[in-house]
Amino acid sequence: MASALQFASPEWFEALAARMRADAEQYRRLGAIDCTMVVKIDRPERSDLYEIVFESFGVKSIRRLGRLEDAAPGHFVLEAPLEVWREMIENIRAHGAADLQHTLNYLTFPDDPMRVTGPNQLETDAFYRYNESLQRFFDGAATVPTRF
Amino acid sequence: MAKYSPTVEMGLDRIREMARGNLDLAWMEANPAGWGHRIEHRPGELRLVDIETGHYAQIPEHGSAHGSMAPRGSYVPEGTRSLGMYTLNEMSEVWAENAASLYDEAVVRQWNSVTDIPWDKLQKLPDDIEKAVCQMCTGLTEVEFVAGDMPAKWLCRINHDFHEVKLFLATQIMDEARHLDVFRKRALANGGGLLMASPGQEELLAAILEAPDYATASALMHIFGEGFVLTLFRQGEFLAPTEVEKKIFRLCMQDEARHVAYGVKHLKYFLERHPEREPQIHAMLDVGEQAIFSLTLEPQTWGPRAILAGGGLANIEQGMARMAFIYGKQVKEYLNRLRIAGLDREPRLTIPKDIPYEDLAA
Repeated sequence: MASALQFASPEWFEALAARMRADAEQYRRLGAIDCTMVVKIDRPERSDLYEIVFESFGVKSIRRLGRLEDAAPGHFVLEAPLEVWREMIENIRAHGAADLQHTLNYLTFPDDPMRVTGPNQLETDAFYRYNESLQRFFDGAATVPTRF
Repeated sequence: MAKYSPTVEMGLDRIREMARGNLDLAWMEANPAGWGHRIEHRPGELRLVDIETGHYAQIPEHGSAHGSMAPRGSYVPEGTRSLGMYTLNEMSEVWAENAASLYDEAVVRQWNSVTDIPWDKLQKLPDDIEKAVCQMCTGLTEVEFVAGDMPAKWLCRINHDFHEVKLFLATQIMDEARHLDVFRKRALANGGGLLMASPGQEELLAAILEAPDYATASALMHIFGEGFVLTLFRQGEFLAPTEVEKKIFRLCMQDEARHVAYGVKHLKYFLERHPEREPQIHAMLDVGEQAIFSLTLEPQTWGPRAILAGGGLANIEQGMARMAFIYGKQVKEYLNRLRIAGLDREPRLTIPKDIPYEDLAA
């Protein structure tokens, strides 16, 4: 059995990117995705930031950020406390994909427990424009053994 | 007496000349500035933005006077007849810097309501929930194709030199056809059916379709109308009782966000060049705000959403309280998008920024 990967870490997101590559035909059906997503994990003592750049039908780059200001100018931010990310990922692992109450849109729509923000509204709107692809990206966690 | 018409006789003369070896190959040298074009593109894909470079990226501020469908960047022979149909000849009237990239995005992110929705997962729902879903779909079936009819009304009037915009609007028409189709299908597919149409919606639709020019029509539809509907789609996904509705709303949400992105960038481009037109845009948004506030409070609009949010008719009041924040979110995002376009709407807003449901209910 593969050893569990730490959430969040570059390796964990790289595992999702690898599943995206393995699932290339499905992602091609969904269409190209050109945007930059920053994942923000809030802990009591600090926040962790990861920048995932999508280009065409895959992930172009993944990097940990020291601060949000280091993110590419055109980006949106998905942010939530660690326990919310954990519940979402565990739900995906339990069901093979997010159930009705754990999709990205479901979690972000009321701005609680997860929020989507951006430098301006159009950047935030990219989260809506590519939502199906982003959901599939996170649903890739179903086969990523994860520790928190 | 000639056997054929002058046109045919002329053609026959040409054939005779060609047969004698007198070939007219002037077309081969007609466009030296446009020949030898080089492009760069990502492996496995060729986007519109990849080819519209150099000579072919020279977009005239005023569309070509020849008024034909001759492709931008080609040599247009003198005497080419004008089609006489283009009235939108100023680039600023229609242009958006993201039109070409949004077209690329639209064509590669198309989906279909026949096989992309997991219809087999439809399940029997409690009567009040099925009626709420069907009423929501009735309203969306009614409103969605205005975003097809509006671009269709203006499309043939846009100068052919702005083909990026025309192509993007063509994808929008297809998107809206799919939306009408998928919501109608959902209403009819699970033992329910269509319920009540919305007179309130017709007020907004009329304002969009009767707008006096493309810029005001676009501001009202792409930013205002589609922005509000985008939030409704997000809400639809949030409230969806099954995977079927989830998927429908997620896919529609993507399309709608593209249309909004065009509208914002178009209004920005337009206002940067025509700041004197700001009062007209504001006046049109006044009309839209009044219409949408009225229709938002129609029973057939808020009722089904409140039922879904409450988990059933018995909890409709709880559902209303839960959903009150949606309106505030719609208004906030609307103001944010206008701000990007260069329009500070907040001081001119004619509707409340929030609905204080708890206070009003007290």
